[in-house]
Amino acid sequence: MTEIKHKTFLFDATRCIDCRACMVACSVENKIPMNKTRIWVAGIGLKGEYPNLERASMVYHCMHCNEPDCLSACPVGAYSKRLDGPVVYNPKKCIGCRYCMNACPFGVPHFDWDKGLIEGAFIDKCTMCPQRIDIGLEPACVATCPTEALKFGERDDLLKYAHDRLAAQPARYVNHVYGETENGGTSYFILSHVPFNELGLPELSSRPVKDVSEEVMGFTIPFALGWGAVLTGLAAGVHLYNQKKEADARKLETSESQAEEKK
Amino acid sequence: MNLQIKIHPRFHMKPLVVILLALMGIAFIIAMVRYANGIGTISNLSNSYPWGFWISFDLFTGVAISSGAFLMAAVVYIFELKKFRPLVRPSVLTGFLGYTMVVIALLVDLGHPERIWYMMIHWNHTSVLLEIGICVMSYLAVLAIEFAPVVFEGLKWQKFAHFIHRFIMPFVILGVVLSTLHQSSLGSLLLIQPAKLHPLWWTPILPILFFVSAISIGLSMIIFESTLSARYFHRGLEIHLLDKLAKVIPIVLVVYLVIKFSQLTIAGDLKYLFTGGLMSVLFWAEILIGTVTPTILFSTKRIRQSANGLLLSSVILLLGMILNRFNVSWFGITHPDPITYLPAFMSSVHYIPSLPEVLVSIGIFSAGILAFGLAVKYLPVFEAEEHHGTES
Repeated sequence: MTEIKHKTFLFDATRCIDCRACMVACSVENKIPMNKTRIWVAGIGLKGEYPNLERASMVYHCMHCNEPDCLSACPVGAYSKRLDGPVVYNPKKCIGCRYCMNACPFGVPHFDWDKGLIEGAFIDKCTMCPQRIDIGLEPACVATCPTEALKFGERDDLLKYAHDRLAAQPARYVNHVYGETENGGTSYFILSHVPFNELGLPELSSRPVKDVSEEVMGFTIPFALGWGAVLTGLAAGVHLYNQKKEADARKLETSESQAEEKK
Repeated sequence: MNLQIKIHPRFHMKPLVVILLALMGIAFIIAMVRYANGIGTISNLSNSYPWGFWISFDLFTGVAISSGAFLMAAVVYIFELKKFRPLVRPSVLTGFLGYTMVVIALLVDLGHPERIWYMMIHWNHTSVLLEIGICVMSYLAVLAIEFAPVVFEGLKWQKFAHFIHRFIMPFVILGVVLSTLHQSSLGSLLLIQPAKLHPLWWTPILPILFFVSAISIGLSMIIFESTLSARYFHRGLEIHLLDKLAKVIPIVLVVYLVIKFSQLTIAGDLKYLFTGGLMSVLFWAEILIGTVTPTILFSTKRIRQSANGLLLSSVILLLGMILNRFNVSWFGITHPDPITYLPAFMSSVHYIPSLPEVLVSIGIFSAGILAFGLAVKYLPVFEAEEHHGTES
């Protein structure tokens, strides 16, 4: 049996020239209509005064979290995490509640707001091109990137490679690989020369945002059973107490009336 | 022979009924447009704000104001405080209609309303929304069973009413358990957004706060609807019973305040009370209107014993607590700021509900009011249960 390798993206913001060929390649490969996209290029635009200008852009799509919050939130289990990395959405199960959109800290899943019942409104997001990676190809966005700002490979190898780049040119980068620990680790690493929040990335701890929610959910069944038992006991207790009180009252009445009769 | 012929107008509808029907019609048309062309065509919901007015008003508020049903069922059946019997039926009716409205609103809000039953077969046990879905659907069935005797009595099918009444206890207990679960889980629904919900509201004990406040909302709702229906359906007011309920509210509210402020202190978030800008204002508004003012009002004997005082105090509490639900599920949530180059589908980061969105909620609410009026008119809602032989 061969070991399944966990696949990951690496994005280097210092190499991105904002050509958006990745967006086009993705839409062609996955047949995305013109008014939608699975990739968007976010960034700070131009910053500073001439001649000291700075710019940065970021190719933004599903982070394929190691512990996906969308998967945890979905009531009907429409999401799954493949062992080799991709977080996959199954439209056949989706009820359109859009809780995954609330759950995702990166705001990745998006919804067909313009589709009625007949066309069917679904969630859409990056799939990591399983149709390509299953036959050994890179995802379309990576294959088309002209500056190698996007790379694709096995998670452990790419992480080492990213740290090597940081070590080789410490002045060029912010000394951090975004996605190594963020939200429990993601399958999308980012290197940047500007602070990550300027690329539109949220500050997240290594604890996935779903953690507290899942812990609280764990109490549900024990609480329901315990609370049900307490209420049943309470109802029975109150009922018996009231019955006894009534019986005593009746006994008192009869004994009193008997006492009166004796007189 | 002297024939006296009285002619009844064939379509005699009160103006209020006409208005309610018109509002329902408008909501129905909007819903049809939504089903044909998509949610985006009638609402301002967007990829940045996937949940909006329907969730805050119809789900969060709707479920909270329906909590009187399980409270009265618990008081009368579990604690056997039989003097409260006259309040059970109206609150169970409110609950039943309230939850029906919640489900109807969700059928408009869901992307695939025809698949709502998938929640019964595909279970993802980590999802808070699954728990709420299952609880709400099961509880609606429980409420239908609890209300069925009233319908059967109205139809003069005493045997059926009697039959259900004999086996009511397990359903009452199930109803209380289901209510406790989903009233609190509505708070848990926000736990997955620690990065988006303002720290004045995000806390792991949100479910506890939701449950405690739901008790105060349920009690106020019973007071609110009893005083209102005394006015509009010309029936006596059980002011001595309402007085007893009203006495409990300040206790619940003080417990709520203690939990809320201890939580803020322990979490170290007290600083946001004055430095959070609009968020601080919303928080103080919710605390002052929803808890502090009603605590004072309901603690005053003179107010508790006047119909107007009860009505006014309960309205104030309800408004404040509804603001709390809106804060938690809408106002307190900030989505990431817009960044340059965002494509159109991510660009809308501000959300104000559209008129059609609000009209849908108003239409559904109108249907609820109309159904309440009809039920009161044709069914023995305000009559105490008839005594069946089996009761002790």
